[in-house]
Amino acid sequence: MLRFIAMRLVKAAIILIAIVTLNFFLIHAAPGDPAAVMAGEAGAADDIFLEQLREQFGLDKPLLTQLGLYLGGIIQLDLGFSYRQQMPVADLIFDRLPATLLLTMTAFVISLVLGTLAGVLASARVGKWSDTLISTVALLFYATPLYWAALMAVLIFSVQLNWLPGFGYETVGGNYEGLDRVIDIAKHLILPATTLGLFFMAVYMRMTRASMLEVSTLDFVKTARAKGLKPSIIQRRHVFRNALLPVVTLAGLQAGQLVGGAVLTETVFAWPGIGRLMFEALAQRDYNVLLGVFFVSAAMVLLFNLITDILYRVVDPRIRAS
Amino acid sequence: MTDFWKRYQRNRGAVIGLIILLAVVLVAVLAPVLFPQSPWKMVQRPFLPPFAMERFPLGTDTLGRNVLAGLAHGAQVSLLVGLISTLVSLVIGIPIGALAGYFGGWVDDALMRFTEFFQTVPNFALAIVLVAIFEPSVQSIVGAIAIVSWPPVARLVRGEVLSLRSREYVEAAILSGQTNATIIWRQILPNTLSPIIVLASLMVATAILLESSLSFLGLGDPNLMSWGYMIGAARTVIRQAWWLSFFPGLAIVLTVLALNLIGEGLNDALNPRLSRKGK
Amino acid sequence: MLKKLSLLAATFIVATGTALADPVSGGRANAVIQPEPPSLMLGLVQNGPTQMVAGNLYESLLRYGPDLEPLPQLAKSWEISEDGLTYTFHLYDNVKWHDGKPFSAEDVVFSADVFLRETHPRLRQSLKYVESITAPDANTVVFKLNEPFGPFIGIFEVGTMPMIPKHIYEGTDYKANPANNTPIGTGPFKFVEWTKGSHILLTKNEDYYIDGLPYLDEIYWHIIPDAASRSVAFETGVVDILPGGSVENFDVPRLTAMENTCVTDKGWEFIGPLSWMWLNNREGPTADKRFRQAVMYAMDREFAKDALWNGLGKVAQSPVSSSTRFFSDDVSQYPYDPDKARALLEEMGYDGTPVRLLPLPYGETWQRWAEAIKQNLEEVGVKVEIVATDVAGWNQKISDWDYDLAFTYLYQYGDPALGVARTYVSSNIAKGSPWNNVEGYENAKVDELFAKAATAVSKEERQALYTEVQQILTDDVPVAWLLELGFPTIYRCNVKDLVTTAIGVNDGFRDAYIEK
Repeated sequence: MLRFIAMRLVKAAIILIAIVTLNFFLIHAAPGDPAAVMAGEAGAADDIFLEQLREQFGLDKPLLTQLGLYLGGIIQLDLGFSYRQQMPVADLIFDRLPATLLLTMTAFVISLVLGTLAGVLASARVGKWSDTLISTVALLFYATPLYWAALMAVLIFSVQLNWLPGFGYETVGGNYEGLDRVIDIAKHLILPATTLGLFFMAVYMRMTRASMLEVSTLDFVKTARAKGLKPSIIQRRHVFRNALLPVVTLAGLQAGQLVGGAVLTETVFAWPGIGRLMFEALAQRDYNVLLGVFFVSAAMVLLFNLITDILYRVVDPRIRAS
Repeated sequence: MTDFWKRYQRNRGAVIGLIILLAVVLVAVLAPVLFPQSPWKMVQRPFLPPFAMERFPLGTDTLGRNVLAGLAHGAQVSLLVGLISTLVSLVIGIPIGALAGYFGGWVDDALMRFTEFFQTVPNFALAIVLVAIFEPSVQSIVGAIAIVSWPPVARLVRGEVLSLRSREYVEAAILSGQTNATIIWRQILPNTLSPIIVLASLMVATAILLESSLSFLGLGDPNLMSWGYMIGAARTVIRQAWWLSFFPGLAIVLTVLALNLIGEGLNDALNPRLSRKGK
Repeated sequence: MLKKLSLLAATFIVATGTALADPVSGGRANAVIQPEPPSLMLGLVQNGPTQMVAGNLYESLLRYGPDLEPLPQLAKSWEISEDGLTYTFHLYDNVKWHDGKPFSAEDVVFSADVFLRETHPRLRQSLKYVESITAPDANTVVFKLNEPFGPFIGIFEVGTMPMIPKHIYEGTDYKANPANNTPIGTGPFKFVEWTKGSHILLTKNEDYYIDGLPYLDEIYWHIIPDAASRSVAFETGVVDILPGGSVENFDVPRLTAMENTCVTDKGWEFIGPLSWMWLNNREGPTADKRFRQAVMYAMDREFAKDALWNGLGKVAQSPVSSSTRFFSDDVSQYPYDPDKARALLEEMGYDGTPVRLLPLPYGETWQRWAEAIKQNLEEVGVKVEIVATDVAGWNQKISDWDYDLAFTYLYQYGDPALGVARTYVSSNIAKGSPWNNVEGYENAKVDELFAKAATAVSKEERQALYTEVQQILTDDVPVAWLLELGFPTIYRCNVKDLVTTAIGVNDGFRDAYIEK
C-alpha cells in the first residue's frame, strides 16, 4: 500500500510539473503586456514607468529564465508575486482556498450522497414511475447549464422569495461571531453549493443506477440470490458495494470538473474563492496568479484522485485480495 | 436498420429527444428564411416584454433586438459548435486511443500519461485559458472544447481496442500479414463504432453546454449570436427582463436534454446486450 | 498686485450645498468599491478604486468646485503671481497625520518634489514646468515655475498630488515600505482594516483640523466583485452608496426607481471622462477623412445615450468635454444622418473593405455599445467585424496600432493641456502606450496651437487658441467622439452632501452625513 502511494505521488509530481510548464508557455503566448495593464490602472504611462514595471517584475528577462525562476519557486511553495494585487500569489490563493474548498466539498457531498441514494432508489424500481421521475429529474439537472441554474436560483430564492442570500460568503458588515457566523455562512452556502451540486448529483445518480443494474446481473449476485439471501441484504452487501466502484472512479475524475464549475458558480454568486480569483486574474493577465491557481487546482485534483484511488482499493474486494 | 429503429423507438424518451432535436435543427436551418434580418438588428424599443407585440413574440432585448430571431440564429451556432468540436475531439481521441490500445507497452503508457495529463487539468478552466489566449472566435472555441473533450474518447477507444485486439479474427489478420494500419482501420475500428456513436451524441450535448458557458462569461465569438451570449448579456438585467435569460436557457436545456435522451436511445439500439440487462 | 481668493468666499461655495438642513454626526456609510483596489497607498497607485477609498485618507492642498474653481483643503488660501510663475500656498496650522505627528510644509515639499516625482507619472508631466518647490516656513509652500503653465492651479487635487508623510517615507524604499499596508494621511478618515475580498473599514479622524468634520463615524467599503450582486446589495439594504461605475448601467433605472433612492451624475467634472473610438489614421478606409466623417454621421449617439447610459451624459461635440475649461461648441457638428454617411462613403469610393472594431473590455455596456455601433455602420454599408479581447489584449492591440476602430475613454483632468492635447499632438505618436496619439494624427497647426495654449497666460488668449484647435479637429475627425460619460452615483436620499466637488466621491466623504 505504501509503495503504491509513493508511486502515485511521484507520478502526481511529474504531472504537476508538466502542467505548470505547459501553462506557463500557454499563458505567455497570450497577447498583452502586463506592464501596460498595470500602467493603465495607474491612470497614465510613460516609457520610464513601463520600464520600471517590467524590471520590477522580471518581465524583461528571457522567457526561459522566467520559467526557471517560477519552477524553482514552486518547489519552495513560492508561487511568485502578484504585481496587480501587490501580494504574494500564495497568500492570495490560500486566502481564497478555504472558500472554494468549502463550496466544492459541500457540493461534492451533496451530489454524492443524494446522487447515489437516488440512483439506488431508482435502480430498485426500474421501470416504475418513481424510477422514471428520478431519472427524468436527474437528466434535467444534467442538461441545465450551471450558470443558468445559478441565475434562476438567485431570481427565485433570493430576489422573489427572499429566503436565502444570493451572493457572497457571509453577510457583509454583519460582524457575526461564533455559532451565528457559522449559521450565516451556511445560509450563504446553500444556494451556490446546491446549484453546483445538482449537476454532479445527476452524474452520480445515473452512474449509480446503471452500475447497480449492471452488477445485479453478475454471476455472484445470481449465486447469492440462488442461495436464498434476502434481496435487501443482497442489494446492500453485494450490489451496492460493487456498484460503488465506478462511482468512486467517476468522483475522482469529476474533481477537475468541480473546480471548473466553481468558476461559474463563484462568478454568479460572488463567492470569494479561487475560481473567481482565476477569472479576475485572467482578465488582467495576472500571470503569476493564473499560474498559481492552475497549479493549486491541479494539485487539488491530483490529491483527490489519489484519495479515490486508495478508496477504490478499500472498497474493491478484488483488488484488496490480490 | 429496421431492427435498429425498432430497438430505438422502444425507448420513449429517446423518441421525444429525437423530435425535439429535429425541431431545433429545423429552426436552425430555417433561421435565415424565417428571420432574414441580422439578429443583431435593433428593430423595436428595448425591453419589449414577450407576447406584447405579434411580430416579436418573445420580446426584445436590451438594445431592442428580436429575441426570437436571436434564438433561431443561436440554434445554428450552438448546434454547429457542438457538432464540429465533437468531430474534432473524435479526430484527436480515436487515433490516440486506437494506437494506445493496439500497440500496448510503452506506446500505451506514453499516450495514456498524455491523456491523463489532459484529464487532470481542470477542464473548464483550461478551456477558458485557451479561448482567452487565442482570442474568442469560433475557431478558438471549437479548438478549446475539442482539446478538453477528447480524453474520454481516447480512453473508450483504447478499452474497446484492447479487448478486440485479442480476438481471433484480429490475431488471424495479424498472422496473414496485414499492416497494422489496415488492421486498426478495417478490423478493429468498425467494431468500436457503436460505443463511439453513443459517446459522441453525449459529447455534442456537453460541447453545447461548454460553448454556452464560455459565451456566458463573455468568451463567445462576438460576431455570432449564441444562446450563451444571450444569457450572459441578460444576466445583469435578469430582474427587469427575466425573459431574456429564461428563453435561451430553456433552449439550451431542451437541446441538451434531447441529445442525452438520444444518446440513451442509441445506447439501447446499438448495444442490445447492455440494454437488455436493464430491462 | 496679488490675486487672492479669500477663504470666506470659498467656504461659502461649500456651505451653500449644506444649507438645507443641519448636518448630524454619527452613523456608518456602507459603500461599494469596485474593483478591489490593488493598494490604498495613493502616492503609489492612482487608479479609480484606490482613489475612491484613499480620497478619504489622503488630502492635497486644494479641492475643486463643480465649475472647477479651486477650493481650500490643506491650503486655507493661496496666491498666484501675475506673471503666472509663482504659486504660494498657506497651510492650515493645526493639521496632524493619522499617527499624531504634525503635518507641515516640509511634507508638501517632500511629497511633490521627492516622492511623487518618482512614483506618479501623470504628475511628473506637470512637474516639468516646476523650477523649485520650497517651504519658507512651516505653513507656507512656494512653487516656482520656469514658464507659465495654464493648468497648473488644477494639479493640487488629491489624486494628482496626495500628501505623503515625510517622517514615514523619507529615505525608504517606497514600494516596499510596510506602512503602505496601513496608510497614514491627513484625511477626515483613518484606515482601520482591509480584509481582502471582503471589505475595507475606515473610521472617523477625531483630530481632523476642521472642527465638527467629518460627520460620519465610519465608512465600510464592501468588496462585491459581481455587478449583479452589487445591485442586489443595494436593493437588500446592505449598501447605501453605489459610486459611479459600480453597477451595470442596465441596473440603474431599476435601482433609482426604488424608494428613498437618489442619483446624481455630478462629481465627474474634474476628470471629465470622454469616450471615443480610435480611428486608425494610417491605413485602411479609416485613413480617409471622408470615411471618418461618415462614421460620425452613421452613429446614433442619442440612442446609445438613452439605451445604454440611461440618458445620462452628453453627446460629445468636440474633443474637449463641455465640463472642461475652454470647451467650444462653435465647431463642425455631426448629427445622426445615415444618408450623409452613405453619400460620403460613395464619394470616397469605399470598396467594402471590412473594418475591425475593438470594444472596450470593461463590461456589458461597452460590449452592447460596440454591437450597436457595428449595426449602425453596417446600415450605411460598412462591414464591421468585432474583435473580442480582454484588457491586456486590448492594451496590446491599441499600443501596437493593430486596429481599425477601437473604443476608449480618457480623462480630461479639467484642462485641455492635461487631458486633451496628448491625444492629438504629433510628438505623442509612439508605439507602446494606449494613451498617447494612438490614431496617428499629424497636423503641424494643431501641434502649434496646443503648445501655445498651454503656456499662454491669459484666459482669453487660451480660449481663442483652443477654439481654433477644436474647429480643426472636428473637421478632420482624427477620432470618432461618442459621449461625455455620465457615471451615476446612486445613494439613499438620507445620505446628504455626498458629492459636493468636481472630484465627487473620489474626494472623500468629508462633508457627507446621514439624516436621521
